[in-house]
Amino acid sequence: MDDVLVTGLGALSPLGAGTGAFWRGMHKADTAPTRVPDPLAHMDRPLMYLVPEADLPDGPEEQDGLPLGRGSRFALAAAREAVADAGLAALPGPAELPGPGGRPEAKGLDPRRVAVALSTGMGDTDLHEGWWTGEAPASGRWAPPFPLASVVGGWFGAQGVNTCVSNACAASGYALSVGADLIRSGEADVVIAGGAEAYSRVALACFNRLGAIDPERCRPFAAERRGTVFGEGAAVLVLESATHARARGARTVYGRLAGAGWSCDAYHATAPEPSGEQIERAMREALREAGAGSGAESGSGGLGFVIPHGTGTELNDVVESRVLDALTPRTPLYSVKALIGHTGGAAGAFAALAASLMLHHRTLPPNVPVGEQDPECAVQLPSGSAPMTGAYGLVNAYAFGGNNISLVFGEAAA
Amino acid sequence: MSNEPAVGLVVTGIGTVGADGFDFRTALGRHGYKYLPAASQYFLAAAKRALAQAGPDALEAVGPEERGAAVGTNSAAVALHHTMDRTVTATGAGDLSPVTAPYFSINLFGSRLATEHDLKGFNLTFTSPRIAGLEALQTGQRALATGRARRLLAGATEEALPEVEPGADTSEAGAVALVLEPEPAARSRGVAALGRVGVRSFFLPPKVAASAEGAERAAALLRDALDALGHRPDRPLAVTAVLDGSPVGEAMAAALDEKALGGRALAGKPEWVPAGAGALEPVARVAAALAAPEGHPHAVVTAAAEGNAAVCLVTPGAQLDELSGTEASDGGEQPMSGRRRASDR
Repeated sequence: MDDVLVTGLGALSPLGAGTGAFWRGMHKADTAPTRVPDPLAHMDRPLMYLVPEADLPDGPEEQDGLPLGRGSRFALAAAREAVADAGLAALPGPAELPGPGGRPEAKGLDPRRVAVALSTGMGDTDLHEGWWTGEAPASGRWAPPFPLASVVGGWFGAQGVNTCVSNACAASGYALSVGADLIRSGEADVVIAGGAEAYSRVALACFNRLGAIDPERCRPFAAERRGTVFGEGAAVLVLESATHARARGARTVYGRLAGAGWSCDAYHATAPEPSGEQIERAMREALREAGAGSGAESGSGGLGFVIPHGTGTELNDVVESRVLDALTPRTPLYSVKALIGHTGGAAGAFAALAASLMLHHRTLPPNVPVGEQDPECAVQLPSGSAPMTGAYGLVNAYAFGGNNISLVFGEAAA
Repeated sequence: MSNEPAVGLVVTGIGTVGADGFDFRTALGRHGYKYLPAASQYFLAAAKRALAQAGPDALEAVGPEERGAAVGTNSAAVALHHTMDRTVTATGAGDLSPVTAPYFSINLFGSRLATEHDLKGFNLTFTSPRIAGLEALQTGQRALATGRARRLLAGATEEALPEVEPGADTSEAGAVALVLEPEPAARSRGVAALGRVGVRSFFLPPKVAASAEGAERAAALLRDALDALGHRPDRPLAVTAVLDGSPVGEAMAAALDEKALGGRALAGKPEWVPAGAGALEPVARVAAALAAPEGHPHAVVTAAAEGNAAVCLVTPGAQLDELSGTEASDGGEQPMSGRRRASDR
């Protein structure tokens, strides 16, 4: 079966624009949330890790007549970088397309075999929030709240499957897995996959109402943690069949998406199932599919790191820690959320982006200091940078509704 | 884990719910549903009806980890978000209801279903413009083909847009749910297969749609989709088109004739249905086609102005017998590709 390779990366995050800024920020490990610049954010803790003002995309305001919100613009920015990084280019416009008897693949990429799988939890809700508070819509055209994948597909000219998975904070983990399924089932050669999330007043207010926002910062696994803190941005990966990547001479292979495991707690709307039975099942399935083995030992050929879901909420971190301690003992963790906050529907993609960079550079960056570790969270959170010793990285993403996904990324050569 | 193959899925239950006159007490019960948002109530009620038709053991024949669900929606949360935002901006987040606060997250509209029916395989939510409901069928079936579950509850749910929203005049409200299971399982339970549904989705870039060759491109993509779904060009095909007046909708509409579709025989003129501001109508049309068991294979075609497009090939129940021993024996008119089966797990 064809391997699913990661051949391009793109990011727009609280660390700035680009994967270079993201990788440097991972090593600097010095971030903090800020107050959202929204005078209508009437809530106790209006905190987020925001994309820096200087790095915000300067448009577009609309595409093909559809007004775009912050989420779509973030997704476009990250997708543009990922596609360029992969050595691909947006497909020709109508005037340049081959005629009826022409071969669309003549330019090297068949648009019908390029898919887009991008996720978001809130989409372009910020745009609608503006309309609800006095801004006038530019037209009477229906503006679906979740057009991110469509916008990227329209920009690129992709004609394959174009899907937006919205499984809350596990969403972009699912997008990546669905993208890999499209390649393995033969429906696509290339999938532009990932997630984007932007500030939404409604989302932040609801998390405030649920008492789930930490007043200081996102502190996964810390004894003093008091909830999570949202982050925003977009992370996009170009997934590609190994056959296709080889045939076109892809210049960089960051790794391969080697395994995925899905499950659902079917337990509670917002709380994780305390035994962790279903998150363990997802992890085991992903490791099994990757050939990394369950109970994977750290070290050469085994599991080199885990990027946990770890949000900083009380029960989630304890349950995930217990399962990791049993299933992947002594494997070092790297917390993306301690660095850029909880990016919701983009969290799985940011974790996948970080995993790909760590495999590519064979380096584990230092974790952001979060204070004294909770003794109930018996996981390894190295505070210094270290060489990576394993061949695989495990990524977890969980969500409201008990949606769980685990992904395993492995080393791969170009 | 069962060795029963997950290919050849058939629909054994259909549930539809309209918002007009809907009473959650009657549809679901007096207790436990009052504070659920309407779109969540609609979908639960539709699933209840679909499961009632499929029979009491439709899900219970397999373990919780072999049951999956997928729902598509575009507008389920917009009215609720609008109300929440008015509260936040007027008096503050502290006045939000803690019961409905989790519903800022669009996937919660389908999550109660998993809790009620112990669906631990997966619970997916799709939000692609207009095609999200068909995507729930498509990706849900692909997930079964790859061994992630053996039974599927899938459909769409929507709630009307607030009046201030563009598109409010074409709002959708209601839900449709389908129960899918392998044909041998349905046969062994002694329940009728209502038909098969196979979905292929694709993307017609709006710029391409608006160009002189838009209809031609749309036709090529439709032909590819029907080929991939295993539809034989010589089998008369009824068509229902749920389209809007956008360049994408118009290109798709122009593609729906026998010549453009490469000589495929159409069973009469396509039925044109104005598309609404949501993902419900295409799935409702699939349900209607399944409920007409004497009909031809039926293509429900839809597209959004943003470029998302899909075709669902419905093979009604009576046609399954006719196809028996030919295409149906290896997956019906809608072959399902899969990298592994449950027996490999």
